[in-house]
Order: sequence, then structure tokens, then C-alpha cells
Amino acid sequence: MGVLLTDSVRPPAEAGQTAGPSLAYYQAFWTDGVTFSIFLSTVWISVLVTVACVVLGYPVALFMRRAGPRMRIVLLALVVSPLLTSVIVRNVAWLLVLGHEGLINTTLRALGIIDQPLPLLYNTFGVVVGVTHVYLSFVVLPLFASLLAIDPSLEENAASLGASPWRVFAHVTLPLSLPGLVAGVTLVFILSMGIYLTPVIMGGSFVTTLAMTITDLVRNQYDWARAAAFSVMLLAFIGAVLVLSYAATRQLTKARGKEAAL
Amino acid sequence: MKESREGKKGAFVTITACVVLFFLVVPQIILLIQSFTAEDYLMFPPQAFGIRWYAFIFTDPEWREALGTSLIVASISTPVALLLGTMAALALDRGPPAGRKFLRGALLSPMLLPHVVLGMALYRVLLPIRLDDTIPGFVGAHLLLCVPYVVVTVGASLESFDRRFEEAAQSLGASPFSAFVHIVLPIIRPGIFAGAIFSFITSFDEFIVTYFLATRNFTIPIKIFSSLSYQLEPSIAAVSGLTLVLTAVLSGLLITRGGYGRTGQA
Repeated sequence: MGVLLTDSVRPPAEAGQTAGPSLAYYQAFWTDGVTFSIFLSTVWISVLVTVACVVLGYPVALFMRRAGPRMRIVLLALVVSPLLTSVIVRNVAWLLVLGHEGLINTTLRALGIIDQPLPLLYNTFGVVVGVTHVYLSFVVLPLFASLLAIDPSLEENAASLGASPWRVFAHVTLPLSLPGLVAGVTLVFILSMGIYLTPVIMGGSFVTTLAMTITDLVRNQYDWARAAAFSVMLLAFIGAVLVLSYAATRQLTKARGKEAAL
Repeated sequence: MKESREGKKGAFVTITACVVLFFLVVPQIILLIQSFTAEDYLMFPPQAFGIRWYAFIFTDPEWREALGTSLIVASISTPVALLLGTMAALALDRGPPAGRKFLRGALLSPMLLPHVVLGMALYRVLLPIRLDDTIPGFVGAHLLLCVPYVVVTVGASLESFDRRFEEAAQSLGASPFSAFVHIVLPIIRPGIFAGAIFSFITSFDEFIVTYFLATRNFTIPIKIFSSLSYQLEPSIAAVSGLTLVLTAVLSGLLITRGGYGRTGQA
């Protein structure tokens, strides 16, 4: 019945979507000058978010792996908690921290470090902070699972053979955790491509994503066909990313298989 | 020498991890502090504290209506999602293997599809049958998003379930129904519990899909959103604080009782 529910809702809608009068709107996507640049800026934000999630998430996953069982549950709860608290609530919280009269600016001004409030909100920085906060756990969880699967004796052997801790990390831990990393990166990147709420709240009118354009087209301009064409483009792009990620995972498993055979 | 380098790397990891975790938690704490302001405007730190704005959101008709709508929609969506999701998970577990992968993919797709696209598609379907901007319409939309969670959590419980228990009960004379109620149900209960909490939270928090459908009937996230476009008022902080506490309590229940830390969208 669940199947019926999902399927009965989607195909007619999708059929309606693609039954545009012509390919004109697809062409507009590339050539109207605005849409393609919005698409590129969405990709750029997604890349920034993904990088931030990896840079911030990797140490957390490493730390969780080393923690004792009880500590691990506490950490897990902390990492999972963003998944379970409202996105809009967390965005509002960030407004209070980053805004002109927010925590950071007020504190820095009170300390006399700055006299003008720092522009922390209503720009790409604000959006990336907000989205990273929401999606960080999507990188940490698969990474943590991957790290747990690594046999610690491999790292110990490398270290006892004289490798420095950084070399052990770069040549043993990192390559072995790649499957989790690929999974997390794919997930965050895909999810970031569809963001609407955070850029509207934390980007003001200065950051536009594809999702915002689509919503605006439907809600305010009733331009269904154009919105549908853009949605299909977004879906196609996401599909391409998924295919790439799948191929990468297969390559990884293959390479691993070869090493094992040697 | 080597020991100290190992220590340095360890310290680096620990410090970074703690900073990141701090970054995860701090905004919510600030929000909670701010929501108890007794002033007319939000400023940090508040000069006086009180529950004035919490009282306000329960008396103001607009906020009350939004709270009511959200609660009703979440309370209907959750049990229905549980029923549909459990049935779908059972079907996936026991049905013919042909097409199982495809069905599972189709069932879980709302988790990965951009919600903007979903919202638009739903709006397109619900508009002609006049279900936009109604509670049944909202429930239908939320079901689409909640059912996948139930399929995942119940499916995970079913995976670890040994079918022989059920067969044994049936061979001892239990009817299929009573075998289901007495054997299967208790075993998949953690999955159902986790699915219920995920569903409720998802429904309560859902924004973009409902945003497409809503014109006059607002749920809490939409009301927050539309108020934000005027001014960041203390009432928004209070509602956000309330939502935060509600979801935190539910997730606390999930983590301590359900034993499900890792059944998220991944």
C-alpha cells in the first residue's frame, strides 16, 4: 500500500511535468543567462558545504571511534541530534548567533575587537554554516561505520614499522575509510543541491539556489512548465552524481579485491 | 619521540572534535536562553527573563492555530505511516524477490529526491482535487515523507528476525494472525517505535512540501517562516524553543529506549 501511495502520486505529476510544450525551457536553462548561473552557484554552495562537512566531520568520526562505549553513545546522540531537531529552528538559532545584534558580533564589539558588525549573515558564508550544521551528521555516520570496520592492527603494524602518525593516517586509515567517505559526500552533496529553507532564511535575498527559483516559479509566477523543466534538470544532475558515486564505490571495491588477491 | 607525535595527533583530533561538537550544540542553547527573554526585542544577553513569550504563543490566535494544525497533522500522519510502512516493510521482507530492489528504491526515493521537486509534484496533483491547503492534503504529503522512515526502521528489525520463531508458533497451532501478534510484533517493536518518532518529528518539522500546499492553513514551520520575513521577534524564539524541547524529548526517548542511533536518512 505504501507502494501504491508513493507511485500513485508521482507518475502523473511527473508525466505532467515533462509534457511541456517543447524543449524551449530546457534551452532556457542554459541560455537565459540567469538560470545557469544560479545552477552554478547552487553547485558551488553544495561543494563548500560538502568540503566543510568532511573537514569538520572526519575528526569527529575518528574521535568517536576511539571513545569508550559509554562516551560513544553520548557522542552518537550529539551527532544524531541535528537530524532530529527542526531545521527551521536551527536556522533561527543561527540567526541569533550570527546576526548583527547576535552573539558573536555583540561579544566582539563589547571586547572592542571590532567596531562594525561582521557580515556573517545574508551571504554565502551564512548559508554554508547553516547547511553544514544540518548535514554534518550525514558525513559523520557513514565515516564512523567505515572506520569501525578497519582492523586496528593494520595501523599498529604500520606505526611499528616506523610510519609517523600522519603517514599512518594518510596511507592506511584514509584509504580504508574511503567507502564511507564517498557515501557521506554523495549524500550531503545531493541533499545540498535541493536546499531551499536555509538559503532563504540565512542568505536573505543575496543567495539564490535552484530550489528557490523553482519554488518562486510555481508559487508566484505559475510558470509550471519552466519550473518542471528546471526540476528535471536538477533530478538529472543528481542522477548523474549518483551514477558517478556508484562507479567510484565499485572501483574502490575492485581495487580492494585486487589488493586482497595479491 | 614517536609517543609524543602520536599524542599530538590525538590531541589535535580531540580538540577539533570537541570544537565541532560545540558548534553542533551551541546555537540551540543560545536559542533556548533567548526564548526566555522578558523584553520586547531579542538581544543578547537578555536583560530580564520570564515566560512571557511562551504565554504569548499559547494565547495568540495565529500561533495557536499553527500549533494545532501541526499537532493534528503529525498525530494523524504518524499512525497511518506506521501502518503503511510496516505493511510495506513486511511485503518487502516476504514478498516475491523479483522487483524487490526496485520496489524498495521506489519506496525510499522520497528520502533522496529534492523535496522541492516532491512538493511541486504533490501540489500539481492535489490542486485539481482541491486537497491543497487542507489537513488531509497535508497528511497525505507528510505520509510520503514519513513512510520511508518506517520502512527503514521496521525493515532493519525484520532483517534480524529469525522466521523460524513464527513458523514454530504456527506449527504449534497458532493462527497466522496470532503468530503475527504474539511473535512478530514484539520483535519488531523497536523498529516501530523508532519509526513512530521519526515520523512524528518529520511531520512536525516538514517545511517545503507543505509550503507549496499551504495558502491559509499554516503549520508551525511555515508560520515561523512567514513571521521571519517581518522581523525576528521573541515569539519566534519561543515557538522554536518549544519545538526544540519537544523534538529533543522525543529523540532522547528514541536514543535511550529504542537503541536506534543510526537509522537516519543514510
